[in-house]
Amino acid sequence: VRRRWAVVSWGVMAVVLAVALYVGVGGGSETPAQRAARILSNVRCPACADLSASQSNAPSAVAIRQYVDRAVSRGESDGAIQSYLVSRYGPGVLLNPPDRGVSALVWILPVVVVAAGAVGGLLVLRRRGALASVGSRALPGRALGQ
Amino acid sequence: MGLDAALGRSGVLLGFLAAAAGVATLAVGLARGRPELLRTGRRYAFLLLAGALAATAAMQHALVTHDFSLAYVAQNNSRETPLLFSITGMWSALAGSILLWGLVLSVLITVMVHRFRRRAGDPLVGWATLATYGVAAFFFGLMAGPANPFSTVSGPVPPNGAGPNVLLQDNVLVAIHPVFLYLGFVGFTVPFAFAVASLATGRFPEGWTAETRRFALLSWTFLSVGIVLGAWWSYQVLGWGGFWAWDPVENAALLPWLCATAYLHSALAEQRRGMLRVWNLSLLLATFSLTIFGTFLTRSGVVESVHSFSNSDLGPVLLGFFALVVVVGIGLIVWRADRLRAGGSLDSALSREGSFLVNNLLLGAFAFVVLLGTVFPLIVQAFGHPQVTVGQPYFDTMVTPLALALLFFMAVGPVLPWRRASPSSTADRLQLPAWAATLALVSCVAAGVRGPLVLLAYGLGAFAGTSALRAIAASFWTARARVGTPQALLSPHVGGMVVHLGVVIIAVALATSLSFGHRGQLTLAPGQSGRFAGHTITYLGDRTVTSPSHTALEADVVVDGGSRVLHPAVSQYGSNADAVGTPAISSTLRDDVYLTLDGPPQGKRRAVVLGVIVQPLVIWLWIGGAVIAAGGLLAAAARPGRRVGAFRAGHAADGPRPQAPEVEAPAGRGPPLEAPQAPEAPEGTTAQPAGVGAPALPGQGGEA
Repeated sequence: VRRRWAVVSWGVMAVVLAVALYVGVGGGSETPAQRAARILSNVRCPACADLSASQSNAPSAVAIRQYVDRAVSRGESDGAIQSYLVSRYGPGVLLNPPDRGVSALVWILPVVVVAAGAVGGLLVLRRRGALASVGSRALPGRALGQ
Repeated sequence: MGLDAALGRSGVLLGFLAAAAGVATLAVGLARGRPELLRTGRRYAFLLLAGALAATAAMQHALVTHDFSLAYVAQNNSRETPLLFSITGMWSALAGSILLWGLVLSVLITVMVHRFRRRAGDPLVGWATLATYGVAAFFFGLMAGPANPFSTVSGPVPPNGAGPNVLLQDNVLVAIHPVFLYLGFVGFTVPFAFAVASLATGRFPEGWTAETRRFALLSWTFLSVGIVLGAWWSYQVLGWGGFWAWDPVENAALLPWLCATAYLHSALAEQRRGMLRVWNLSLLLATFSLTIFGTFLTRSGVVESVHSFSNSDLGPVLLGFFALVVVVGIGLIVWRADRLRAGGSLDSALSREGSFLVNNLLLGAFAFVVLLGTVFPLIVQAFGHPQVTVGQPYFDTMVTPLALALLFFMAVGPVLPWRRASPSSTADRLQLPAWAATLALVSCVAAGVRGPLVLLAYGLGAFAGTSALRAIAASFWTARARVGTPQALLSPHVGGMVVHLGVVIIAVALATSLSFGHRGQLTLAPGQSGRFAGHTITYLGDRTVTSPSHTALEADVVVDGGSRVLHPAVSQYGSNADAVGTPAISSTLRDDVYLTLDGPPQGKRRAVVLGVIVQPLVIWLWIGGAVIAAGGLLAAAARPGRRVGAFRAGHAADGPRPQAPEVEAPAGRGPPLEAPQAPEAPEGTTAQPAGVGAPALPGQGGEA
């Protein structure tokens, strides 16, 4: 009986979670201000060490903010805004490394290394587990003088 | 040469010679197999400490008395510098911070040789001591040569010095944050040295992990506190309202922290199940080499950082030492891996040790991403490609899924028993945490919170937090019957779960403050109020405050009509041309109002521009840090096991260890004669000391 209640409880929970997540993830379209903020979070303040243009009050950061606000209200695409900024301030102005060319490595390598680590670790453990179980089965036999 | 310089240089020289003589004595003792030389060798630690103390005393005397004949003092101190910031001047630039490193290391080595004094004749302890002396010789060598804190100014002694960097003289956190960080960095030298010793001797005696665990736990706690205090410092001082920027210096501290966190978990699998021994040794080597790498990264000027207050030409030396540690470490591991391999194996993926493997994979991935992101621009540049920036968005994108997965496994891991868990009992134990997560999620959605990442952070935070509370309760009720109420809370397991709670608090605070912040500016004339993000900001007026060290233009601002007047300011320090902004913060448990003075009074109305940043739950980041510290101290203070089988010279417990039984005698004072064959541990046994193959306390039980 207890087991049945547990199954019911997990089932109810799954339904509640699914509904809550469906409502909560929401979506809805981006407002222009949200769009400008999203674009700016990937633009470096040219005068700072590692702040984004939205986090600094340096004159160049303020200029970039004003440009992005105007470009967003003109309806320019993300790509057009970014390529203008790159042509004006150089490729280092984007905080995200590009996903093409050499820089693509910085995105790909972690995935490759983690996958390799997981698979390699599993293989080692499986081999070792197999050896250990063989060993433990063989040992009592040896201990008995066989 | 003045008295300070003479005393300081003698101290550094004494430290270097003591370390070098210690290395030589121990090397001869180990090569010839002479225990009496090993016992002599440990005494050099006291000379090393004497040298470090003399050098520190000289430096402090020079700073406090403003002895500008020392170049370091002339650059980092002035007659106007207040006493506290004169003292902290020792770690506000490169040469002095290496002196602090040397001092902490000398104290640590002294504690270590004292702790293991009865076993000084054991080659394992001899090798470990030799490794620590080697590290000390390197750092004192730096001070004797390229990073000399006691070099004197050329020409006449200047009448006044430049004073510390302006960012380093208006916040008390500069007094403690670097010290904690260094205690953390340096502390890992001891587990590292024992890892080297184990690899060099090919021995891994019973009790190894337990003996070094307290050093590792305390270092980890110091490092955690140091990192949180560093974030707090940058929040209070730098004026952009953030606390973490994935800056190279921040990453350099995070990398060893991640490795050490992985180690603290997987070391338990070694202690309890005889698994992952070589892997654990590798993690210790990685932790230590990453502290050196971090020093290279932040002290060589190869990367720009808001925290690196020194540039030097030490780069090649530090990189060389890092390369040496890595090459020797990898060589030792390759050489000894087969001999040291532990016999334990994974019975089932659904087990405590299985969850530690996932933990190690996730933390390893986390560390890899941080390392790659930090050095990638350098590598790309070195190969002549155009400049790239790897900034916040990259780290956020890559790390967020890993952090959420870690939260999930933080909930699952503690309910799993060692060896093998049955799916149904695991599900039963997860019911309560899972319902807590569901309730948290539903109430957040009902309250209008939208967005997948924030909701996941809240849900998984509640999941992990409830699981930790549940584990504390289970462990407490089981242990209370046996040892009484206060002692029942003093267990490593409870300490670990308190740390989990602290991490959950930080995760929720991070997700909230980063998602629901508001940033803007108000232009206000004296007496005028403005509304911003639910707060009323009233500007009262401005004034100029002059102190010997600086002149500040302060705005008097009141938040929400409170009685406390905040003073965001712009300050001019001495002859330093650049003015620096000093933010002012009104903190409550609910949210922080962060004020900066962005524009000075202008026009007839004398209106100022105030920068206002409102972020919820920021204070919980620091509270979470305090909870982590409390948990770490609790775990380190608790007795990890009974006083049996402390490793000793020639003890035969080396090699593959007998596996600890799954279930211990519940109230036993001695090891159970027979391991019960129960398929799964009952609740709460995780908090009890292991039985057979138990870790031993470091101690006096050693030599016969």
